[in-house]
Amino acid sequence: MREWTGKLDQGRPEAAWELFLRRYRRLLLATIRHYAHDPDAVMDAFTWVCDALRENDLARLRRYTAGPPHRARFSTWLVAVVRNLTIDWYRHNEGRRRLAADAARLPRLRRRIFEYVFLEQRSHVEAYELIRSRDNPELSFRAFLAELRETYRAVLPGRGGNVLRELGRFLPEETNHVEPFEGEWGDRRAALERALRTLPEVDRVAVLLYVVEDVPASDVARILGLPNAKAVYNRVYRTLATVRDQLSRAGLGREDL
Amino acid sequence: MHAMRHTLEPTTAAAASPDCLGDDAIASLADGTIDATGRAAALPHLGACARCRGAVASVARTLSVPEVSRTSRLAAGAFPRGWYRAAFPIAAAVGLLVLVRPWDNRERAPNRHRAPTIEAGEAPQGVFPVDTVDLAKELRWTSVAGADRYRVTLFDASGQVLYERQVADTFTTIPDSLRLSPANEYLWKVDARTGFDRWVTSVFVRFSLQVRPPR
Repeated sequence: MREWTGKLDQGRPEAAWELFLRRYRRLLLATIRHYAHDPDAVMDAFTWVCDALRENDLARLRRYTAGPPHRARFSTWLVAVVRNLTIDWYRHNEGRRRLAADAARLPRLRRRIFEYVFLEQRSHVEAYELIRSRDNPELSFRAFLAELRETYRAVLPGRGGNVLRELGRFLPEETNHVEPFEGEWGDRRAALERALRTLPEVDRVAVLLYVVEDVPASDVARILGLPNAKAVYNRVYRTLATVRDQLSRAGLGREDL
Repeated sequence: MHAMRHTLEPTTAAAASPDCLGDDAIASLADGTIDATGRAAALPHLGACARCRGAVASVARTLSVPEVSRTSRLAAGAFPRGWYRAAFPIAAAVGLLVLVRPWDNRERAPNRHRAPTIEAGEAPQGVFPVDTVDLAKELRWTSVAGADRYRVTLFDASGQVLYERQVADTFTTIPDSLRLSPANEYLWKVDARTGFDRWVTSVFVRFSLQVRPPR
């Protein structure tokens, strides 16, 4: 890192940029490729990321080098920055048009789900409510979930790659159990949030990362400073048992978790 | 737990607030380099802010991608540029030393004790997945006495590394970002570290995913 930061310190941003790019080009491309699979999209996003990093004589990089002592490795910080920029490119620029074009072949209801969930980044429940109020008042939640699953299956293997996973939520599981919706939804969410608020921070975050964000247990262990994945499994299942007890005392059944 | 996921799913993507974690905090949580004080300060926000939680989850998943972790190590200088140019002369010199063996005086000390050879060490064995399986979400292997670390590597049929990870336990989760296809065959192996720079390696384990009939 010293070579390019040295040039930055000398007030030579162009020379610093050349050295920086020589060293980190592969990492930038590897990170972008994780989010976008289509080669054209990768190169367009790469240009967008480079422009953003070069802006104002490498202001972003300068903020890092001039900042307080850092806790993260520079390469990890760079991955975080490139991830943000790539998702920005998809949300606000050419990427959005490409995603919308990919969804154009979907049937009408799934296209609508795609718009709400992936482009407008609404939750599944919000998307359901909007579709019922605007397009299809008769749509049951079970039918909506089936359409939602098919929408995910149709778009996730496509050109958008993992960026759709970032813009969307999670693939709804196939289940015979259909959650109650009207009226009970808000009550259940409030009860669950109340129960989670009573937990120690580390337990709450472990559950949210593992269950809601679908982060592998070994990664959750690294994030929370736990010794290994087993410790995460133990903590999450113990915590869920506690939450279930609290919910059953509040009159909600086990099937609600 | 699917009901819980729906119930707790964040509503419309939240805008960043002044309290949101910066890129440095997000990156250090994702790669585990944050110290205990920093983690304790970040956790309350992480528990409340879906945006920051999603960012940490996303960066952690990205770091597990083999191409990203490899290029990250390269960029950080773990393997200095041009190391391979020096590798051949060094290997030749080591080979010459092994052949000449100027330190070899076994004839003068014939009864000296020796540690067991590396080959004699117990090797780990792949437990799951093996052959054809319905689902492969993790890799499991047998433990090796005295091993403090395991290095597991997953390859596709052409020998390209898809995933590599070092863990202290006898299993690791295959990241969701790595999509295994029923159309392909995969190989994996695990190395157990039993001493300083001493590893024992399992045999390659071959597996594939069961092809499911179309619904």
